[in-house]
Amino acid sequence: MPFNQKPQKFNAKINSVTIGSGDKTVTFGGDSTFPFYTFDAPSENCAKVGVEISDMGLEGMSEGVKAYYDGASTIGEIAKKAAAMEGADFVALILEGGDPNGENKPIEDLIAVVKEVAEAVDCPLVVEGCKNVEKDAELLPKVAEALQGRNALILSEKEENYKAIGAAAGLAYNQIVGAESAVDINLAKQLNVVTTQLGVDAKKIVMNIGSAAAGYGYEYVVSTMDRIKGAALGQNDNMLQMPIITPVSAETWGVKEATASEADMPEWGPQDDRGIDMEVMTAAADLAAGSDAVILRHPESVKTISKMIKALA
Amino acid sequence: MFKVTFAFEDGSVVETYANEGDNLLEIAREANVAIDAPCSGNGACGKCRVQLKSGELDTKKTLHISDEEFQDGWRLACMSKIIADVKVLVPDIASAYKSRMKVADLSSKEEIAIFENAKREIQLAGIDLRNSLDVIEVKMAPPSLDDTMPDVERLSRALRKFMNLKRVRIPYTVLRKLPDVLRNSDFAVKCVVRTTPDDMFVYDIFENKEDVVIGGLAVDIGTTTVSAVLINMENGEILAKSSAGNGQIRFGADVINRIIEAVKPGGREKLQDAVIKETINPMIHEMCRSISFPEQQIYRMCVASNTTMNHLFAGINADPLRMEPYIPAFFKTNSLFASDIGVEINQDAHIIIAPNIGSYVGGDITAGTLVSMIWNRPEFSLFIDLGTNGELVFGNSDFMMSCACSAGPAFEGGDISCGMRATDGAIEACTIDKETMEPSYQVVGEPGTKPVGLCGSGIIDVISELFSAGIINPKGKFVREGERIRHDKYGMGSYVIAFESEAGSSKDVEITEVDIDNFIRAKGAIFSAIRTMLTSLDFDVSMIDDVYVAGGIGSGINMRNAVKIGMLPDIPLEKFHYIGNSSLTGAYLMLLSTPAEKKTYELAANMTYMELSTVPSYMDEFVGACFIPHTDSSLFPSVE
Repeated sequence: MPFNQKPQKFNAKINSVTIGSGDKTVTFGGDSTFPFYTFDAPSENCAKVGVEISDMGLEGMSEGVKAYYDGASTIGEIAKKAAAMEGADFVALILEGGDPNGENKPIEDLIAVVKEVAEAVDCPLVVEGCKNVEKDAELLPKVAEALQGRNALILSEKEENYKAIGAAAGLAYNQIVGAESAVDINLAKQLNVVTTQLGVDAKKIVMNIGSAAAGYGYEYVVSTMDRIKGAALGQNDNMLQMPIITPVSAETWGVKEATASEADMPEWGPQDDRGIDMEVMTAAADLAAGSDAVILRHPESVKTISKMIKALA
Repeated sequence: MFKVTFAFEDGSVVETYANEGDNLLEIAREANVAIDAPCSGNGACGKCRVQLKSGELDTKKTLHISDEEFQDGWRLACMSKIIADVKVLVPDIASAYKSRMKVADLSSKEEIAIFENAKREIQLAGIDLRNSLDVIEVKMAPPSLDDTMPDVERLSRALRKFMNLKRVRIPYTVLRKLPDVLRNSDFAVKCVVRTTPDDMFVYDIFENKEDVVIGGLAVDIGTTTVSAVLINMENGEILAKSSAGNGQIRFGADVINRIIEAVKPGGREKLQDAVIKETINPMIHEMCRSISFPEQQIYRMCVASNTTMNHLFAGINADPLRMEPYIPAFFKTNSLFASDIGVEINQDAHIIIAPNIGSYVGGDITAGTLVSMIWNRPEFSLFIDLGTNGELVFGNSDFMMSCACSAGPAFEGGDISCGMRATDGAIEACTIDKETMEPSYQVVGEPGTKPVGLCGSGIIDVISELFSAGIINPKGKFVREGERIRHDKYGMGSYVIAFESEAGSSKDVEITEVDIDNFIRAKGAIFSAIRTMLTSLDFDVSMIDDVYVAGGIGSGINMRNAVKIGMLPDIPLEKFHYIGNSSLTGAYLMLLSTPAEKKTYELAANMTYMELSTVPSYMDEFVGACFIPHTDSSLFPSVE
């Protein structure tokens, strides 16, 4: 009996959300199939890869990452090198130094960093806050203000601070709003509902539904992404049709597989290789489960994942 | 030893003595001073506030008391140690749960109608309203020198002959009064008896001229509230009705905390005393006094309660109930007598306990199911009992399925900063103007009663109205500003329903984001349980023909508002029926009718119990339901 292929057609699609300005833009989402199901329908916009840089410079980065940025001494120079990385679609600046439980840098200093990066590169920008909900509620509206005209993605508003960040990024300064929830389909949808009720255009929201490094418990991430795509396409649920961006590096570079030194774990092999492996494995799984964009750190990972995307698209 | 004085807002005081380092809340419990402590006194709930009037306390400061309040003397009783003579004020809100016991000689017409209706329906279902208790008249030949048979043998012989029985049992209580009664009445007497085909038990004996009423007692022991009716066993007439707070509340608001208290040394006796000696016995005495009825003439009792409550009532170790694999000591027992556990009615009275179905679906539900009559109809009905545990039964005359979900005490006002039971001073209904955001409300009690707090039905109304007016978002967070909306220093919003000047207590009556969050979780638990149970049967809410809602949530629920906040499914409002305290009505039917009692055992045996915690999709359903009205708004098409 001959194989008769039946394409799985959906009458719904993921929103196309473009970030960046001028002729330097990238678009997330737009597909009406499950990830990489190009046999059902061609992909509108293939998945995108961003390069993570930090206001803390190269502090704490792995040897391989430091080697790539060798010679870059200012955040502007680092940003330029990041934008030039093979396979990079956008740059993601994380303002981790703002964390009150860490460096607790003042907001003005962080805004100066944001401005320096914005001047150094003209590629699409994603700016991530420090993860502390109170600090982000003050910091991210200022970031949105500083980046007026850049059509940047502001990561992220959460349930606790969506009013301040959503209103500033999505309404006052016309940026793209990143909506972050904790690996739960209902919580993701609830945040989208309250954000749109604030007046933010649903087509200007990108979700970060939460992530983890590949390993124990990671199946929740896969299941949540998969069900979100299923509801968005199968049930035409317009409160779940926002594209998904997943900051991978922040998860994978903190696990023991990436942090244990080779001296402690000789049988595990070189530390840098392990970090790349964790980053590549997690990003590949996120993309296959439904992420429309991933944020990575190591040049080798960025290259590998963008190659994978092109090969499967 | 230090002297500890508890002062109340009505001016009364209770004095007791304590050692240095004693915990104030413990001292209050020992002195029978009711201070609400739903968290069992570990500083988590912030409800046991007292105000220091004189003397000193060594108090650990917690988040629940602001700096200004601390300055004003407010302390948490559970966090306070005795270090000197001290006098504290126990504010009304803290002791409001221990409502004055309410006794009505004859209940209101509506309440009578509930019992009358239940009787009629059960008879229509072909169940006789008869029981094995009877008053029979016996006339014996007086003894003489030629007929020297003793009194007991004389009565036995007469009764055996009369009823053609093999055996007659006469207990000590009857033996003791027998010679006098026989001689005073010239050997023509009335006996209260229980007859089975070949055996008779004589409960009591009276002179022939006396008018004998066989009393029966039906009791619903709720985790929060106990209610009871005293009835005439011959015709089902309600002679008196009473309700009171469950005396066990001071050992914790929910069943788990009660079990934990009961496991402590001497705890089982303490918990049993709290419900029998401090709650049920006083209710019995009050009811009997109000109608001049002797306690000794209550010959049967029926108790409907959740599994934990009937275990603690019977003084049985309930600890296995709370630990995997959650096994109760009994589903059904027929070996309990009044004298066994000190219930002050006729000491030989048999105590019927409505059968349990599982560790978290108890006799209150089987009794309620009997009353709902869902077992007698081909149409599909849903029976919901809103209590500290929410219980559901779904089915028809062919099958029934039950499950329980932990809603928490929010429906009865627990876990809500201004929450209280549906007693005097409780706001039971509320509307809020969309423009001005001004509330108008109804308060339980005499006209003019000032509001003290919110009961379950009031909370449903307030949240629904806040949502409709756009004051809160679907997450329950405040999104409008106004005179009645406040934010504390941590940013937590609240809405003032009655300012201190309008309220009957020393505090504003308000609802906070934390309260709303607690309530959303309670309603989410109920709705997700409904969905999970129906989905497991491949049903959806449109297939429900009738919904019967029971529980002591207030005088009635505004069903429209309950649907609007996503607590009950969005089906036509005429399908909802509020049936009041179905546990008590069920206990009444089981007491009055032996066939109804048997039917309840049969229902319990035929009900399938579904353990929600083993259903993987329940958590997803729950999170989806913790939103107003629901994350999936297509489930609530009528809510715009």
